[in-house]
Amino acid sequence: MPSTPQSASEVRRLLASRKIEKVVVLGANGTMGYGSAALFTQAVPEVTFLARTKIKAEEGLGAAVKQVRSPTVASRSRVGSYDDDLEAAVVGADLIFEALTEDLAVKKDMFDKVEKFRRDDSIVATVTSGLSINALCEGRSDSFRQHFLGLHFFNPPNVIVGTELIAGEDTDPEIVDFVEVFSRIRLGREMIRTADTPAFAGNRVGFKVLNQAAQLAEQLGPVLVDRLIGPYTGRAMTPLATIDLVGWDIHRAIVDNVFENTEDEAHLANRLPGYMDRLMERGVMGNKTGRGFFYRDDDKRQHVLDPASGEYQPVSEVVLPDLSYIDEVSRLYNEGRYKEGMQVFLKADGHEAAIARRAIAGYISYAFHRVGEVTETIDGIDRIMGLGFNWAPPSVLVDTMGGAEAAVQMIDKAGVPVPPILADAAKTGEPQRFFDHPHINVGRFFVAG
Amino acid sequence: MAAGSDVYVLGGYQTDFARNWTKENKHFSALMREGVLGALAECDIAPEEIESAHVGNFAAELYCMQGHLGAFFTEVHPAFSGLPTGRHEAACASGSIAILAASAEIEAGRYDLQAVVGIEQMKTVSAAEGGAYLGTAAWYAQEAEGIEFPFPKLFGRLGDEYDRRYGLKDEYLAEISRLNYDNAKLNPNAQTRTWYMNKEHALCRTDDNPAVGGRIRIADCSQVTDGAVCVFLASADYARKWAEARGRSLADIPRIKGWGHNTARLRFDDKVAESATAEYVLPHVRSTITSAMKRAGIAGVDGIDGIETHDCFTTSEYMAIDHFGITAPGESWKAVEEGWLEIDGKHPINPSGGLIGAGHPVGATGTRQLLDAWKQVTGTAGEYQIEGAKTVQTLNIGGSGTTSVSFVVGR
Repeated sequence: MPSTPQSASEVRRLLASRKIEKVVVLGANGTMGYGSAALFTQAVPEVTFLARTKIKAEEGLGAAVKQVRSPTVASRSRVGSYDDDLEAAVVGADLIFEALTEDLAVKKDMFDKVEKFRRDDSIVATVTSGLSINALCEGRSDSFRQHFLGLHFFNPPNVIVGTELIAGEDTDPEIVDFVEVFSRIRLGREMIRTADTPAFAGNRVGFKVLNQAAQLAEQLGPVLVDRLIGPYTGRAMTPLATIDLVGWDIHRAIVDNVFENTEDEAHLANRLPGYMDRLMERGVMGNKTGRGFFYRDDDKRQHVLDPASGEYQPVSEVVLPDLSYIDEVSRLYNEGRYKEGMQVFLKADGHEAAIARRAIAGYISYAFHRVGEVTETIDGIDRIMGLGFNWAPPSVLVDTMGGAEAAVQMIDKAGVPVPPILADAAKTGEPQRFFDHPHINVGRFFVAG
Repeated sequence: MAAGSDVYVLGGYQTDFARNWTKENKHFSALMREGVLGALAECDIAPEEIESAHVGNFAAELYCMQGHLGAFFTEVHPAFSGLPTGRHEAACASGSIAILAASAEIEAGRYDLQAVVGIEQMKTVSAAEGGAYLGTAAWYAQEAEGIEFPFPKLFGRLGDEYDRRYGLKDEYLAEISRLNYDNAKLNPNAQTRTWYMNKEHALCRTDDNPAVGGRIRIADCSQVTDGAVCVFLASADYARKWAEARGRSLADIPRIKGWGHNTARLRFDDKVAESATAEYVLPHVRSTITSAMKRAGIAGVDGIDGIETHDCFTTSEYMAIDHFGITAPGESWKAVEEGWLEIDGKHPINPSGGLIGAGHPVGATGTRQLLDAWKQVTGTAGEYQIEGAKTVQTLNIGGSGTTSVSFVVGR
């Protein structure tokens, strides 16, 4: 994970070093395919949407136009099918962007064809959210491997700017630098370099928190869990509602991948709860199937799942314990008093507040433990959590608590492993502040209510 | 305390104009806190140092059901308890009016260090309701009542007036939109920095870019924005002390070298009638610009390295181009066509993205322009820096060209 090119002259040099005038998107009918293709049309004069059939590619283009609400997407785009148009499109492409289904074999099959037709100087990027970059280009030519990398946009790319950039072992550093600068300047991305580890940085840290929320729901019920790990803990969308939005199957694919391929201090937190497996067999997949942790009936009444029985009940009938500390935190956040609100959270009495603190301590601990493994410093994890997940970055939480010492106390008291970086900072008093990005307003992460 | 001093600008802070404070469930006071505390941190100034504070705001009574905004300083920090404060209003020029008032207090020798906050929280209401509130910047009963989105229609008529007098092609307006959106992509605080926009889109005539007032389409408009911008103004004595404590000298600190301020008749029809035989469509706006230049000892626009102007609509920027003297009256299109307005052009306009690109939280715009001028002349504008900028001028307009204020900022 070499460092990011910074100086203005270096940025200009890199931007001028290559031209990206033709992009081909493979799998352009999928959500990430058409979303990414729409994004490319902002900066690239010709984007080719390819899919299994031309009709599917046209559907992708239609969805892209709808997503960014601009007919100009179409005037910069072409459509085609793999059978009829792959060769011509790939031969001419400066960037080949793969967005097929998350299946190693399917992607490798496509790369066989890409390898046959691509020019030696064209860049090949995959939008995979967690498959190994090195595994994806294994056995390919030197030129392919040198020009291959992961460019992980988050959905929907026209709204979420946080983007992970993953180099393989053989990727030419100049290509990595170029893609970073191109994405940042021309596509308006916030770029985060990560290692080629399962689920990279954002999904590794984020889905662990989501999965723990799903585990907690088994005892506490989804309504209480989403209240306890709700907006006041630093996120716009509550965790179980997020899993419903993402889709339970996608959630399973991500945590299973992490569970099977990593061995970390919070290993069991990445084990999918059994009830989710069972319910998925019955078609519960989240919003896309109309049933998840929550659903709304025809009268817009919200219903919630009972994980044990698989039955639903109206949310209005769920009885919650006293959570007045959350109201107090929210009131302070509403006035912009973030540090004071955080103190109320840290000091709140009761079993429920302790559960919430344990969840947030787990998030901070897991994130700081991943430094050196998934990113070089905490900064990359901070930025992808902030600008990819729209969650308060771990460092922002630490800073708002009053620094490393306060955070270490909180993590320790919650019974969660204290990360060495924070333990050291608590001892030395340095750094006094972890998050240092003047252009990112940390206040936005403290959502009231 | 200095008895009469030039007015120095120490710096300031802008909130991210892409934020929606209603979605964050935040009260007006949170926006104020972040703006002021951000500026104190940015400029390394202790709150105890501030001697007086001014708030520029258009319509918090309507948008937030909240008046008496100066008093909210006391909620920002305990040290502000007892601070002299006040609030200023002149529609979209409110921020600049607050700066003028604060400047006058420094020039009079009353205070050495002042905080000026421009602020507006607008996403509290629907677009239609907000549009009606904005109508109160015109003569509401005569020009806005019962009209959906009155302001685009008024500024559409400004375009029509140009068209009548000189001819105006919409493609030049689209190019102005394109440039502001492009520049906004370089500005990390700009509201539209991630929006999908290009000239072709600005020219498209589909439902994706609907007409909202005559020739004005959505791409021609600044958007509904939440934001606060706080700047610190200081006397020479304070600025010198502040600079020297940071290893700099007074000469490094930008000052307000000139100002202009005029008010024209409220109704657009009356303005146009008044200027029927004049050289400029909005002569009072022209006078504001030239009087600021004159006070700064600058002969004309060639002495200005960059402009932050009031492009509430593309037509207002089109008007500003000739009113600044970049072209002869009626020939603004030439500057567009020649690329003079680009960041690396001969007369860069709105490197920040302006109101269309950076956003237009009404009462904050004047302070945002002053802060962006400060960033340019201190070489701290990052990716939207005009190379070597030494002198930058602002133009802030309230109503349909009614109240106009301009500042020349330089070292």
